[in-house]
Amino acid sequence: MAVAAGRILSNHLLKNSLRNCVASGLPGLTKVCNQLKTINVHNSRCEQLRYETTTTVREAVPQANAQLEEYGKMCAEVLPKYIQRAEDHHNGQFLNLSDIAGIDIPAKTNRFEIVYNLLSLRYNARIRLRTYTDELSPIDSLCSVFIAANWYEREIWDMYGVYFSNHPDLRRILTDYGFEGHPQRKDFPLSGYVEMRYDEDVKRVVAEPLELAQEFRKFELGSEWEQFPAHRNREVKVRQVSPGESFKQVAKEGEDK
Amino acid sequence: MSSSQITTRISQQVVKPLISTSNAEAKRRVLKLYRAWYRQAPFVVLEYDIPIGEKEVRAKVREQFEKNKHVTDMRVIDMLVLKGQMELKETANIWKQKNHVMNYFKETEVKKTDDFLTNFYEGHHV
Amino acid sequence: MPKDSAYRVNTEAIVNARRSVVTQESDLNLLESKIGGGQVEELILQASRELSLARKMLEWKPWEPLVEDAPKDQWKWPM
Repeated sequence: MAVAAGRILSNHLLKNSLRNCVASGLPGLTKVCNQLKTINVHNSRCEQLRYETTTTVREAVPQANAQLEEYGKMCAEVLPKYIQRAEDHHNGQFLNLSDIAGIDIPAKTNRFEIVYNLLSLRYNARIRLRTYTDELSPIDSLCSVFIAANWYEREIWDMYGVYFSNHPDLRRILTDYGFEGHPQRKDFPLSGYVEMRYDEDVKRVVAEPLELAQEFRKFELGSEWEQFPAHRNREVKVRQVSPGESFKQVAKEGEDK
Repeated sequence: MSSSQITTRISQQVVKPLISTSNAEAKRRVLKLYRAWYRQAPFVVLEYDIPIGEKEVRAKVREQFEKNKHVTDMRVIDMLVLKGQMELKETANIWKQKNHVMNYFKETEVKKTDDFLTNFYEGHHV
Repeated sequence: MPKDSAYRVNTEAIVNARRSVVTQESDLNLLESKIGGGQVEELILQASRELSLARKMLEWKPWEPLVEDAPKDQWKWPM
């Protein structure tokens, strides 16, 4: 803070002395140069101060974590039926629903996970609640408890197709009218099903089944999603090709194997 | 995953109903939705100013319903009815535009043939 | 609400503790520091929220067991 104040002060000085310089002609210039040097020093120090080199991730506070864990255990004890309603309790005060997210894992019987992030301003704590469902099981809407849930749940409905029962106004929020499918599902192709273009003959935008022109087809043919994260660190044997080696030799070796 | 697959998988377990609790109720919902679409047809023609008559709109509605006539699981039926209701609402409130309505009719789509040369001239690859 | 439901036990303990402090203490500043849940106005808000939560709890009946247990591999990650 002190440094920053000094910098403002010196900038102010510089302006003044520049003005003097203009007024009095050349003799003031050396003075300005000296001041410029000091300002540079100031500036560099400021830069150092401004850009933190340490990590900004907050260190874990074991005590607070233990408290939260305790709270979680209490919730689990209180709510064996559904561990989802903890917001108004005296000890929690989780009054702020900061986000609802969805996860899709097609291999599981209940393929969707819905993640609720709650924030307690009172105790500066966040908790994350997760629940699961499949394509057809509805989830109770949280709108009666958190008004913020309205649009988040519409997003989840639009992107994943999870139905929220008792939602006041469940309809699409991100996709275009007439859009079919739920784009965040893992079985939804990256390219989509239709392509849109303006048609001169009928004078409107038309949607037609996807047919990529040749020049747009140069993309990776592998799946766009990582299918086997458990094998992420699998070793891949790569044979180094030395500069003198011809392509034919390498190909032949491959055939021999 | 097609709807029939879902049906077979969940038929073995107890499931939470989407809305309807019996097949008859699900059927009633479908009929109700169909009726609502049927009645909406003249307004669609009028409000969207599309070059298509009531009759064609109704035929298209019927076609869209019949596309899913193989579905027997009531939860899938419920889900389809829900989506149909949302579509109806979007259409009736004129949230959609002309092109969204006209997209159902697929005027500009050219049928693919097996003939290589025809496809080639049309610009279709493969 | 059944007497042994965990929610009832926990909440009753908190509410009774706060009520006893409120009845004994007349100085507001001391009261706030004793309860340690913020200012008196906030405490009133918290209490009213707890009340509404209790009413909702009656409706939700959270003391009943889970309708259906989670499938075995539901929370396993990576698959």
